[in-house]
Amino acid sequence: MNQTSPYRTYRPAPFTPEERGQVEILFGGLHWRAERLIKAVFENLGHRARILPTATREDLLAGRELADVGQCCPTSFTTGNLANFLRAEASRIGAEETARRYVYVTAGSCGACRFGQYHQSYELALRNVGLEAFRLFLVAQDRMDQGALAGGGLKVDMPLTLGILWAILCADALQSLEYQVRPYEVVPGETDRVVAACVDHLEQAFRNRPQRDGKWGSLAWHLGTGYFVEALREVYRRFEAIEVDRLRVRPVVKITGEFYLQTVEGEPNHNMHRWLEAEGAEVYPAAIAVWLDYWMRFYVQGFEDEVGVDRTARAKIAAVRALQRVFGWTYDRLRAALGGIPHALPDQYELRRLAAPYYHHRLSGGEGDMLVGKALWAHLNRRAHMICELSPYACMPNTMSIGAMAGVLGKHPDLLYAPLEIKGDAEVHALSRCQMILTEAKKRAQREYEEALERTGLTTERARALLEAHPEMRRATYRVPHAGAAGTAANLVLHLAARGRA
Amino acid sequence: MFGRKPSAAPGPRPRLRIGIPRTLNIWSTHQFWIGLFEALGIEARSIVFSSDTSEEQGREFGRGRGTVDCCYPVKCMSGHYGELIFGQKRRIDVLFSPMIYSLPSMLHGHVADSLACPRVMAAPENIRAGFTREKDVFAEQGIRYLAPLVSLGDPRLVAKQLHPALAEMLPGLPMKEVQRAVDAGYQALSAFNDRLRGRSREILAWCAREGRPCILVLARPYHMDPGIGHEIETDLQAHGYPILWSQYLPTDGDLMDWLFGEQVRAGEIRSPFDIADVWPTSYSANTNEILWGAKFAARTPWITCVIRLTSYECGMDQPTYTPVQQTVERSGTLYFSFQDLDSTKPAGSVKIRVETIAYYLERMSADIIGRKQARMPPGCPLLG
Repeated sequence: MNQTSPYRTYRPAPFTPEERGQVEILFGGLHWRAERLIKAVFENLGHRARILPTATREDLLAGRELADVGQCCPTSFTTGNLANFLRAEASRIGAEETARRYVYVTAGSCGACRFGQYHQSYELALRNVGLEAFRLFLVAQDRMDQGALAGGGLKVDMPLTLGILWAILCADALQSLEYQVRPYEVVPGETDRVVAACVDHLEQAFRNRPQRDGKWGSLAWHLGTGYFVEALREVYRRFEAIEVDRLRVRPVVKITGEFYLQTVEGEPNHNMHRWLEAEGAEVYPAAIAVWLDYWMRFYVQGFEDEVGVDRTARAKIAAVRALQRVFGWTYDRLRAALGGIPHALPDQYELRRLAAPYYHHRLSGGEGDMLVGKALWAHLNRRAHMICELSPYACMPNTMSIGAMAGVLGKHPDLLYAPLEIKGDAEVHALSRCQMILTEAKKRAQREYEEALERTGLTTERARALLEAHPEMRRATYRVPHAGAAGTAANLVLHLAARGRA
Repeated sequence: MFGRKPSAAPGPRPRLRIGIPRTLNIWSTHQFWIGLFEALGIEARSIVFSSDTSEEQGREFGRGRGTVDCCYPVKCMSGHYGELIFGQKRRIDVLFSPMIYSLPSMLHGHVADSLACPRVMAAPENIRAGFTREKDVFAEQGIRYLAPLVSLGDPRLVAKQLHPALAEMLPGLPMKEVQRAVDAGYQALSAFNDRLRGRSREILAWCAREGRPCILVLARPYHMDPGIGHEIETDLQAHGYPILWSQYLPTDGDLMDWLFGEQVRAGEIRSPFDIADVWPTSYSANTNEILWGAKFAARTPWITCVIRLTSYECGMDQPTYTPVQQTVERSGTLYFSFQDLDSTKPAGSVKIRVETIAYYLERMSADIIGRKQARMPPGCPLLG
C-alpha cells in the first residue's frame, strides 16, 4: 500500500467579479416557474444564469454510477443531472472551457440529514468525470446576507436573497392558482398557454426589478412596494379569460413528501402532478413557501428550548415570529392579487400541534414533523381527499415520519394516505399504488358531492342553470369559498345554494 | 460495557424498574443514563437494559411491530421494545427511550455541530407507532412510555428537556434535583470515556514500544452491539491484533500535538480536532468522529489497518465512503470495509475476509509502521 498526498476535501477555485460577464451560474432542483423567476433575479443583478434541465432517468443512472453507492434518490438525480450537463458541455467545448464558463450554486446543509452532504456526491461525480476544476459553491439556506462567495463573483446579499424569496412566493402563488384551474378548464390546454405567458410576464418583471441600495433599503422596498402585486394582477387578468367548469367532480390530492420530490415536476417523481391530473384529480401542490415558514418555526423551537437558559431567548422567539408574520402577510398580499385563490399557508403552529402526539417537533432533518402535521391538517380541515406522500428511496427523515404515520392511521383510519417510495426506476409500482388509493378518493369526492346536492336540495342540472345565470362564476378567477367540503365541486354546490338563499 | 457501580443516592424513591432499549446512541451514552437515574435514587439493579440485538429477539418480540423499512439498527429496536415489555421476569414500570437530538463529542466546539442521525433521533417515535397503532400496548401492560427529546450535546438544555418526563415518572421532582442528576450523569459518562481513552492509549503505547500493529474500527457506536456489528472485530482480535474504536481514541494534548501539531501550525486546521480539511459539513457527531478517527489512523504508525463497519441503507455513512477510505489509504494504511451489514451475519464471507485481512496485516504491518513512523516528527509521546 503506497502512500500518496493526503486526502483533502474539494475547494473550489475563486469565482471573481471580473468573470461575471463570462460565467454562467447553474442552478436547479425546483419547479420550472420558480426556476425561471430566480434566473431573472440573477440577471437583474448583472449575472448570467442558466437553469439545469429537469433531471431525467438517465441522470439517475449517471448519479448512481458516479457517486458512492447507497445514495438517496434525490442525490442520485441531482448528481447525475449536474454531471450529465457538464459532460455534454465538456464534449462540446472541452473540460477546461466548461470549468471556466460555468459555476454551480446550490443550497447547503440543514443539519445532519444527507441533504447537507449532497456536495460530497457532486464533488465525487466531478472527479469521476474529469472535471475536478469545476467550481461548485454552497449557499447557506438560513442566512439572508452571507456576503460574497469565494472570489467575490457572487454576492449572497439582501437584494439577491430577497429577490429569490419574492420569486419563490410569486411562483408558488401562480402554481397554486394554476393547479386549481387546469382540471376544470373548458378548453383543453388553455391554462398551460396562459401560465406560459404569465411566467414570461413575471420573468420580465423580476428582470426589471428596481434596484435599491443597502440591506435595509432593499428590505423596505420589497415589503412596501406594489411592484410584484401589480405584476400578479396582470397574471390575474390573463387567467380571467379561462372558462372553467367546476362542477366536474375531482378528488383533491395533496402532495407532501421530501422537499425535492414534492417540488420538482418531472421524471424524478414520475411526473406525479401531471399523472394525477390525467387520472382525474385536482392536485394541491406543495408550496416552497410552506417549507420556508417551517424553517422559521424550526428556529423558534430551538429558541424555545433555551427559555430559562438564555436570557435573550424570548426576544429571539418574538423576533422570528414577527418575521413569520411578515412573511405570511407578504404571501397573503400576493395571493390577494390573484383573487385570494392560491392556497393559504397552513399555520405552522397548528401543524406542530397536530403532529405532536405522533412526532416530536424538534426532530430535525427534511420536513420534520410537517409530513405528519400536513397530512392531519388536510384531512381534519377537509382540504384534501387524499395525501400523496412522495418519499425518496433511502431518505432518512422521510422514512421516519412515514413510520410514525402508522400511529396516525391507527387513530384516523379514514385518512387516505399513499406513501410512495420513489426510486426513479419503479414507476409502474409507484403509480399503481397511488391509483389504488386514488380510486377510493374518487369515490369519496363523488359521495361528498352527492351529499352536498342532497343537503342543498339542488341537482346537477339546477346547479348548472345557476352557473349559467352567473357567468363570473365560470371564470378561472372566481373564488369558490371553502364551505366545509374538500372537493371543489361540492364547495361550489354549497356556495351556489348559499348565494341562492342570500 | 453497560456495567454500573453503586453510588450514593438521595432519599427513598418509588421502587421503579426502568427499561432502556440497548440500541443506537444508548451505546455511547449509557453511562450518562445510569449516572442520572442513580442520582435520582433509582437502584442500579432496577435499570434494565434490553439484551444485545439478535435475530431471535426480533422474531420473538418484534415481529409484526415494524412500521417502515429502514436501516437495521433502527428496525431492530422493535425487538428491544418488545423484550422490555413482554420478556422480563419482573415487569418494568417505565420504558425509557430518549430521543437523543445531539451528542457529547470530543470534537464539540471544533465542528459545525454534534447532531444525531435524523433516523436515529426519530427512531423512538417510529418504533412506538408499531406498539400503538392498533391498541396502546404500553397502557395495556401498565408501562409508562417516556421518550423525551434531549440535546446531550448541549448540557445547558438537558435538565430542562428531561424534567417533564422525569417528573412524570417521579411526581414532584424538583428541577434542581434534575439538574444535579444531569451533572452526575455527565460526570459518570466523562469518567467512563476517560477510562476507555486511557485504555486505548495504553494499547497504543504498548504497540509503539513493541513495534506491534493494531486495528482501528471506524463505525457508529451501535456497531459494538454483537447483533449489529456481528463481532467482526472480535474475529480479528482472535488473530492477535489489539482493537481500538474511534469513539475511545486518546485525546491527550501531547499526543494531539504530535499527531496534528504540524498541520495546525501550518494553518491547515484550527485545532487537532478540526476536520474541515477532509469534511466541511461537519454536522453529525458520529460522522465527524469517524472522519476524525480516519485522520488519527492515517497519522498513527501502529494503526496499520482500519476496519470500516456500516449498516445497510445507512444514509449518514454513504457520503463518507470515499473521504474516509481516501484519508486512510493515502497514508499507506490498510483499509477494509464491511458495508451493508444487516440482521444476518454473513459468517462465511466474514471468515474469508478476516483471514485475508490477517494475512495482509501479517505481511505488511512492519513496513507500514516503518513508513508511517518515518513521516512523523520525532518525540512520539507514546514512546516516552
